[in-house]
Amino acid sequence: MASILSKKQVLVVDDFADMRSVLRGILRSLSINNFDLAATASEALAILQKRRPDIVLCDYNLGEGKDGQQVLEEARERQLIGVDTIYVMLTAENTREMVMAAVEYVPDSYLTKPFTAELLKTRLEKLVQQKAQLSGVNEALVAKDYAGAITELNTLLTSGPKNPLELLKIKAEALISSNQLDAAQKVYQSILKDRDVRWARLGAGKVQLLRKDYTQAEETLKALISADRYMIQAYDVLAKTLMAQGRTEDAEKVLQQAAELSPRGLKRQIELGRVALNSGNTQTAEKAFGRAVNLAKYSRYNHPSIHSSLAKSLTANGKHTEATKVVSELGRAFSGHEEVEFHKATADAMIKANQGNLKEAAAALAIAEHALGESSGDQAAELGLEMVKAYAKLGQHDKAEAMLRQAIANNHDDDAFIAEVKQVCQSAGMGDEGDKKIQRVQQEIIKVNNAGVRLIKQGEFDAAIKLLRKAADEMPGNKTVNLNAAKAIIMKMEQKGSTKEEVQLVRGYVEHVRSAAPEDWRLADISARLQRLVTKQKEA
Amino acid sequence: MAMDFSDMLASSIHDIKNSLSLISTTLAEMIGSAENTFADPRQANLLQHEVQRVNHNLVQLLSLYKLGDEGLTVDIDEHNIEDLFIECLANNQTVCQALGVDLSYDCDPMLCGYFDLEMVRSVVDSTIGNARRYADKRIQLSALEEDGYLVIRIEDDGQGFPPELLLRSDTNDQLQVTNPRASGRTRLGLLFAEKISGLHRSGERKGHIEVKNGCSLPGGCFELWLP
Repeated sequence: MASILSKKQVLVVDDFADMRSVLRGILRSLSINNFDLAATASEALAILQKRRPDIVLCDYNLGEGKDGQQVLEEARERQLIGVDTIYVMLTAENTREMVMAAVEYVPDSYLTKPFTAELLKTRLEKLVQQKAQLSGVNEALVAKDYAGAITELNTLLTSGPKNPLELLKIKAEALISSNQLDAAQKVYQSILKDRDVRWARLGAGKVQLLRKDYTQAEETLKALISADRYMIQAYDVLAKTLMAQGRTEDAEKVLQQAAELSPRGLKRQIELGRVALNSGNTQTAEKAFGRAVNLAKYSRYNHPSIHSSLAKSLTANGKHTEATKVVSELGRAFSGHEEVEFHKATADAMIKANQGNLKEAAAALAIAEHALGESSGDQAAELGLEMVKAYAKLGQHDKAEAMLRQAIANNHDDDAFIAEVKQVCQSAGMGDEGDKKIQRVQQEIIKVNNAGVRLIKQGEFDAAIKLLRKAADEMPGNKTVNLNAAKAIIMKMEQKGSTKEEVQLVRGYVEHVRSAAPEDWRLADISARLQRLVTKQKEA
Repeated sequence: MAMDFSDMLASSIHDIKNSLSLISTTLAEMIGSAENTFADPRQANLLQHEVQRVNHNLVQLLSLYKLGDEGLTVDIDEHNIEDLFIECLANNQTVCQALGVDLSYDCDPMLCGYFDLEMVRSVVDSTIGNARRYADKRIQLSALEEDGYLVIRIEDDGQGFPPELLLRSDTNDQLQVTNPRASGRTRLGLLFAEKISGLHRSGERKGHIEVKNGCSLPGGCFELWLP
């Protein structure tokens, strides 16, 4: 039975010795002799690192420790497996529960036990073919070259493939990643015209959310849920839509429903805990963060903020001793983590304040302040909000307001984040006053930004650059302002030639945005245009 | 730790399926090894056949339980029919050959349909398993489009279904699970297939099953109609 499979290197992961020997027998019967067997997740990861197999067959249930999904996440994030590696999840039961956890990385295929050697062979051969078909697309996607991926997909689509919908799904996602929202919506609508395909409806809802058509998005997602109450991803997108409308209570309810239907989703538990803690539903928060801490235990996504939030929920419920214990465990578990000091200190400050020990609380807050000064990047907005809560708790209102101003200024066009800020203000007793201030800050930024954009359009590059540079320097965390500053300089250089200083300047702004939002679609455009300028400069 | 019945059922089935995998693969190794001789090789192959039937029954019981619990919904997507048939063949061919039954398929390689892949696979797999008991020499899978429906057909060349099991769409029959023990057929498979087909809808149209005799082969003919 010689086939393309016999040359492949395979890794089998299963915690049952008997199942491993069953799988060994199956592989041998398929003339696959180049394989490793692993009993645990850590064994599997070690082998992945050393041998880089072509195919991974991993059981979902691996006993104590990471499960098959967490092995996949770890392997993908550490780049132990590439886009060409075939990852098959072996499951005992229907796959639905696993899909429900709404995970970032999905395996290439699920295979339900028991299966015959022939079925495994057929499935693997099909996957090898599929990988070959999509290798160009996958390479482009990894390089974030969405235009290239879409061109490649269009070529495949015109060649009369057996799987047109599968290709359209990838195409729509690439269109979203490159912010071609109208084109993405067209793809989804053309599918929905004929058939009620769930992922297309979910995609349509996502696009509506991204276009800030909140009412429409809500309608789409609610209809999807009423047709299938197990469509968990729809709850997550609906919760985001509701948050963006400032309807935090409704969002909390939706997240709660989803968390009950599918309690294994880590991100969802964190999201629920956060909304609940902000709104003062501290019991719900405690439960959600408690679950999140357990789920994160063996996960790639374990983070000191989860434990810190659990401690804050516990102390809010009067369980100060338990909270203190969580904080000290946090210190041990994350020793050396760059954000550990900050999260320990903010939780500590809350506990001390709740115990009435204001002096020690202030000392802890000072530590947090110091730690915040050293941190940067995409967590900055969240960390800022944690500080606001702590300042407010300790009555340091001036500092709370200054921090709040900065948080809003850096994210003035992110509706969901602004809603969270408002919620924090409410429960910190900075209510109506806060709302007005938030609005004022937002309007100021919009005014400056619009003025800058207008000047660019009029060709007044120097004036635009002057205005936007000043704004960007004041708000290094504001993505829109930084990108527009970079764009103004680039457009000037495109017309009048580039200088080293200006190229440096643009690189600085691009870095600001990249650290705040590495996935922002606008980065690709700016970087490409900068690259062209630099190449031209070298040629000249 | 609180655990409801559905979790309990799921984890028990996980365990049972692991055992079944073990039995099935070990049996395959025993049969495949030249060092083993069986007085009656057919007995070993019958065991294989029964293991697969136990597995189908388990899956169907759990699905029907979930259906009653309103926990079963369909995930409709586009799937190629030939790909489905090739996989079903791969999963059943060895046992069929051992039992002297020729399993084959016939369909347009570009034919696609909209359905829940795992559910329909389960229906096709278990219908093949069932047909194996009654076929003389042949089981044939085929698919075509008719009246805007995708029709998946599983036929055999045996004696055909007994009259009380025949089911046609034009008579509006409902499956009656009366006195199942009398006939030796539990009808679980047919009940499951009927429920699954009914979950497939497109606009006003709804899926259904038909059970006939003597279509292109002389024996039983099971049809799954999907909108």
